[in-house]
Amino acid sequence: MKKTLNINIGNSIIHIEEDAYEMLTVYLNEVKQHFAKNADDFEIVTDIENRIAEMFAEILTNQQRQVINIQDVQIVTAQMGSVKDFESSEEEEEETQEYASPPHFSVKKLYRDTDQAMIAGVCSGLSHYLDVESRLVRLIAIATIFLGGSGILAYVVLWIMIPRAVTKAEKMTMRGEEANLKGFANSYLQPLVHQSRGFIAEFLDVLGNFINGTGKVIFKIIAAGIIAFGSLIILFLIVALAALLGMWDSNVYQMFPLNIINHEYITASAIAAFLVFMIPVLALVLFSIRVAFNSRPVNKSLSFGLLIIWLAGVAVTSFYVVKIGSEFKEGAEFTQVSEVKPFQTYTLNIDRTRFFTKEDSLRYSIDPGNYNGRRILTDLDHNFDAPRNIRLNIEKSENGKPSLSQYYKARGKTFEMALKNAQNIHYDFLQHDSLLTFSPMLQFVKAGNWRGQEVELTLKVPVGTRLNISKNFSRYLDGYGYWDCDHDSNSEFTVWKMTDAGIKCEHEETENSGE
Amino acid sequence: MIAENTQTQMRKGILEYCVLLIISRGEIYASDIIAELKSARLLVVEGTLYPLLTRLKNNGLLSYNWVESTSGPPRKYYLLTEKGKSILSQLDATWQELSYAINTSKKVADNDTNDQININK
Repeated sequence: MKKTLNINIGNSIIHIEEDAYEMLTVYLNEVKQHFAKNADDFEIVTDIENRIAEMFAEILTNQQRQVINIQDVQIVTAQMGSVKDFESSEEEEEETQEYASPPHFSVKKLYRDTDQAMIAGVCSGLSHYLDVESRLVRLIAIATIFLGGSGILAYVVLWIMIPRAVTKAEKMTMRGEEANLKGFANSYLQPLVHQSRGFIAEFLDVLGNFINGTGKVIFKIIAAGIIAFGSLIILFLIVALAALLGMWDSNVYQMFPLNIINHEYITASAIAAFLVFMIPVLALVLFSIRVAFNSRPVNKSLSFGLLIIWLAGVAVTSFYVVKIGSEFKEGAEFTQVSEVKPFQTYTLNIDRTRFFTKEDSLRYSIDPGNYNGRRILTDLDHNFDAPRNIRLNIEKSENGKPSLSQYYKARGKTFEMALKNAQNIHYDFLQHDSLLTFSPMLQFVKAGNWRGQEVELTLKVPVGTRLNISKNFSRYLDGYGYWDCDHDSNSEFTVWKMTDAGIKCEHEETENSGE
Repeated sequence: MIAENTQTQMRKGILEYCVLLIISRGEIYASDIIAELKSARLLVVEGTLYPLLTRLKNNGLLSYNWVESTSGPPRKYYLLTEKGKSILSQLDATWQELSYAINTSKKVADNDTNDQININK
């Protein structure tokens, strides 16, 4: 059994076996090359092709066959004559020209040699091209793996870029043999001895067959999944972009990930980022369509255009990233110390409900001193999770007076800008008798961008002061082993006591003194 | 090698002349030209004929008509132009001269050998 092809030669359709086709192609290419210097190249070649077609038709009708095989091609080409025969019958001037130029110029081309492949034939292909032992190339390739793995990447890139030598003609050009009729006949008469192939190459072959066969269905299902999922992502991105651009001036820009971006950059950077994310997804979807339905949904120039747009998007995005990144260059901080009324016991709480500013208390007619017990839910929990920007330290007061130091920190392009950003921080802390209420969030006096603003609070209390710390505080306390002190899971508070060596869990303290 | 060169030169000129002669008998298809040349034992390979026909056509000696064929695509039927005819008559004259030259040369050679034989006698 042999594979046959349908060819259109001299305006008639001929069934031809694959190897015969290859041989004929080689012959016609030779003929074309020979007459290329001739102005009437096209006409002569057409005449020859027509004649070949006629001879094929004669052979088929005379012998009652349907397919042209390699012997037929040999007979026909012998009758038609090789390029050498043409040369001897040509004009004398042309002959002298012929001698002036090198008579044969064999061009080597880089192909992957899958006949001698270890993995995909990249190394053996290179060895043919460079005319060195394939073992040497492989050794170098393996060595480059240890040079930071660059060899693997290079291998994959070459695998994709270099075409596989499929036809006999390609295999001959790969070896630098002349892809002419003589060379073709030689390699046809002496079929390749079974080549040594790596087991990975064999495995890839099997995998390839699997993909071509049963695996195709699975791949199509996967591709369909990718198409559906990718389309959803694209839809989501479009909606997100529209929403983002539509919500101009809304307070969504004051929330964490968006408030990094300066207000005036939002439109351009949003579109750029949209392109950067959308185009690869689109490319993946288009590729999947190609895999699943064997059709090309877009032509080359369109995909090239998409690539250009994507690169432009990347350029604009990186421009803004660098621009905004530069606004984090300098850091600044200042401290504000406020006194705390002395009490023997303090209760530290985080107000998970909305913290009332003066404006809020006016707006909602609530006395800020007397709102305990009234819970007004905020949307705080639904916010994007901002980087933790509040930290509380509890230290021993040296002068015996309780105090609260607030370090305001921020970053900016210059020190002045950083300081300005730090001054823009508004943090609420409220003392109501012994109840110290901390806000869970920073606020900005004026609308501003996120520039690494944070507040570090240092509460200093005299030795011997007891502290009831709300469990909500745990995430704002660093390095105190808060949960080690959590003995009573019913209680909302843990009890601590300031000692000379710093704050200690009261439970521990009593245990220690009991010993 | 020298003999080969001369042979090719001779054959080249005569092939051209013969092709013109064959075509001068009337419109003819390329493969029929080939068949005739073959029966005249002149043509080695077919591929040689097409460049020759094209060159003669470009020089204005030949023209062709497309003729519908019962089996397959239309065929090119070649015929001589007026210029071709006049050149063919020139070639005829040249051929007469050449064959006279060759025959005479051969006869002279025969005579010489005869003379020598006579002398020997």
